[in-house]
Amino acid sequence: MVQFFRNLAKNKVMLFMVLPGAIWFFFFSYLPLVGTIVAFKQYRFSREGFWASIAKSEWVGWDNFKFLFSTDDAYVITRNTLLYNIAFILLGLILSVAMAILLSELVNKRLAKIYQTGMFLPYFLSWVIVGYFAFSFLSLDRGMLNQILGWFGADPVQWYSESKYWPYILVIVNLWKAIGYSSVVYLASILGIDKSLYEAAMIDGASKWQQIRRITIPMLSPIIIIMTLLAVGRIFYADFGLFYQVPRDSGTLYSVTNVIDTYVYRGLKTTGEIGMSTAAGLYQSIVGFVLVIVSNFVVRKMDKDSALF
Amino acid sequence: MSKMKTRFSFVLATLLSLTLVLSACGGSKESAGGGSGTDGDKPVELIWYTIGTPQKDVDKVMTEVSKYTKEKINATIKMKMIDWGDYSQKMQVNVASGEPMDIIFTSSGGFDYVQNARKGAFYKLDDLLDKYGQDLKKTIDPAFLSGSKVDAHNYGIPANKELPQQEVWRFNKNLLDKYKLDTSNIRSLDSLEPLLKTIKEKETGVTAFAMDKNYVPYVPYDYIIQNLPMAVKLDTTDYKIVNILETPEMKEALTTMHKYYKAGYVSPEAATTGSTNDLMTSGNWFLDRAQTQPLADNQWSASYGYPVVSTPASDAIITNTSVQGSIMAISANSEHPEKAMEFLNLLNTDQKLRNMVDSGLEGTHYKKVDDKHIENLPESKNYDMPSYSLGNNMLLYLNPNDPDNKWDEFKKFNSAGTNSPILSFNFDGTKVSSELAAVQNVKEQFWAALMTGTLDPETNLPKAIEKFNQAGLDKVIAEAQKQLDAWRAGGGK
Repeated sequence: MVQFFRNLAKNKVMLFMVLPGAIWFFFFSYLPLVGTIVAFKQYRFSREGFWASIAKSEWVGWDNFKFLFSTDDAYVITRNTLLYNIAFILLGLILSVAMAILLSELVNKRLAKIYQTGMFLPYFLSWVIVGYFAFSFLSLDRGMLNQILGWFGADPVQWYSESKYWPYILVIVNLWKAIGYSSVVYLASILGIDKSLYEAAMIDGASKWQQIRRITIPMLSPIIIIMTLLAVGRIFYADFGLFYQVPRDSGTLYSVTNVIDTYVYRGLKTTGEIGMSTAAGLYQSIVGFVLVIVSNFVVRKMDKDSALF
Repeated sequence: MSKMKTRFSFVLATLLSLTLVLSACGGSKESAGGGSGTDGDKPVELIWYTIGTPQKDVDKVMTEVSKYTKEKINATIKMKMIDWGDYSQKMQVNVASGEPMDIIFTSSGGFDYVQNARKGAFYKLDDLLDKYGQDLKKTIDPAFLSGSKVDAHNYGIPANKELPQQEVWRFNKNLLDKYKLDTSNIRSLDSLEPLLKTIKEKETGVTAFAMDKNYVPYVPYDYIIQNLPMAVKLDTTDYKIVNILETPEMKEALTTMHKYYKAGYVSPEAATTGSTNDLMTSGNWFLDRAQTQPLADNQWSASYGYPVVSTPASDAIITNTSVQGSIMAISANSEHPEKAMEFLNLLNTDQKLRNMVDSGLEGTHYKKVDDKHIENLPESKNYDMPSYSLGNNMLLYLNPNDPDNKWDEFKKFNSAGTNSPILSFNFDGTKVSSELAAVQNVKEQFWAALMTGTLDPETNLPKAIEKFNQAGLDKVIAEAQKQLDAWRAGGGK
């Protein structure tokens, strides 16, 4: 106990810095955990407020989870969610590390800043706007792609009803939007690498490619692992805006655009059963939690220092 | 002198402490006692949530409204507007979290009336209506109050307006005149073909048949749940619920739609088009389908800036959806349900109050032309309210070009409507909620593409039917049939 307070006193400055974040997490992540109880209830309103409503609602056991698994759609949405996220994680990692290295190697620093800002910009756009950007390319009669196809004498494509193109379109749109942000994270840690390492390598006659492979990438690996582990934890969450706004909610594309989040939204937007949507959220976070623990365990087995915990 | 002063301050102090004690206890006592204690002198503030783009002058108008209501029923009004697209979701959260509120706009479209009544969001109005709503009962069409009962109880006050719903074909009159097209024999979907053909051939750049993704061909059935494929035929005798996609009428309609789609009468992107507003603004359309009300042609023509005419596409049917198109309910957690009911009674019967809420302040937002007609002033852009959602429409002043007998026309229209066989039957989906969620997903997948004719029904209709059954539609229909049979056995109440 004494030891505890001594530690507290010793680290007070550091702890004080953590405080705002800790408070935020307490209110927005830990406190709402109590609400997961709603996942096992048939939520009904009570005039005495939220807590009374929870207390008075009927227990329904696992009933709220059933709708997620009751049809073939369960397979489609799980497959789509997982495969898209795996593609986003892998391609996102490769491309953003590559971009970060390219940017760091640019001699003209002003140009590098311009590229970096240009890549960063889409990150701030809302999916609704990105959806309209995509529409300006893919619209049947006024879309840019169909115009270009027209120049080559090809027939226009009905992009919003041909599901075979959408895995590529969604991956491209998502990468376009997300890469700027993650490459800045990698760029920051590249700039933090001790310059003397590169000088020593140059003296030994290492080529640019060798420097990247032997110095930059190994030095980046801790941050790569952290970023990837965090992404794996969210592998069961799909970006709702990407899968709902960009395909314009077109029914004929559902086989390749329906993911867990859009399924839940479409199933419950009219009935508004918050018990069922809570159940879906709980399911997603538990799978995410398990995946993080497992992948962290794997990382630990391979390299103890790189693991998150 | 000094004695009087002491006595005065003593009285003052007692009064102060009394009010303090009262106001401190007030909150908890009222909520525990089921909302009594309205006889005090202090006016009660009623919080009123309603739908529509928030207007700049709402508070200004409500201050004036409050002065009036304070005098009449000793209550003041605080109005909170939530924008069209957000209303259902935000109200869902507000109600679930117990946000204080007294009056709530609800309807079959925004913040679903029946479901939320069943979930316990609204106060049961039966007794309050008898006690405080006598004037109101006399004013509005009785079909509204009986049609909006849920499990034999009233949970809201419907706005007195057009009662049946009737579908019409609307035509862009400029194009009709240009090609001298005749609409007198138009009624069915098939009858449109020659006209569509003419327009398609002669007018490039005009969408012959304008529609958005919510378009559904008209078939003479009434849906159990809006846009889910369970319905009862309007002239039914056995009250059997069928899958609408399996009916010959729907199959025929979808085949025609697909024919129109392939012929290019329908926009190739109809199934993903959210609204046809830009077509309406530009006038590059020839026909579409809409719901009508008396004098609708005038209204459409005025708002688009070019003449629009219409001819019927269906009979005028009184359905749950039409009765529940606009309802004001009292929140279950209201601390002053009596006052709220008194206010609703006044709003639906008092012309001065109703028009103030609708058009704002005389001299600021509008001016009177004669005793029935008003004209908007430029300031009205800061207080542009949807009329349908704010109570009894038939008290409203008329627009400059409305005929004097506008509301008589409405009454005539209302009495001409026929009741749907399942009017006031409300399906309770609680027992099949996981099936409903799955069915809803199948619906989203196929509905728009089938209804707009994008997909060929020959191959896709069987596919859709099979998917619906996999998702458990047959189970939902069986449950609905059970409830419908019980409802009929109980005398249709």
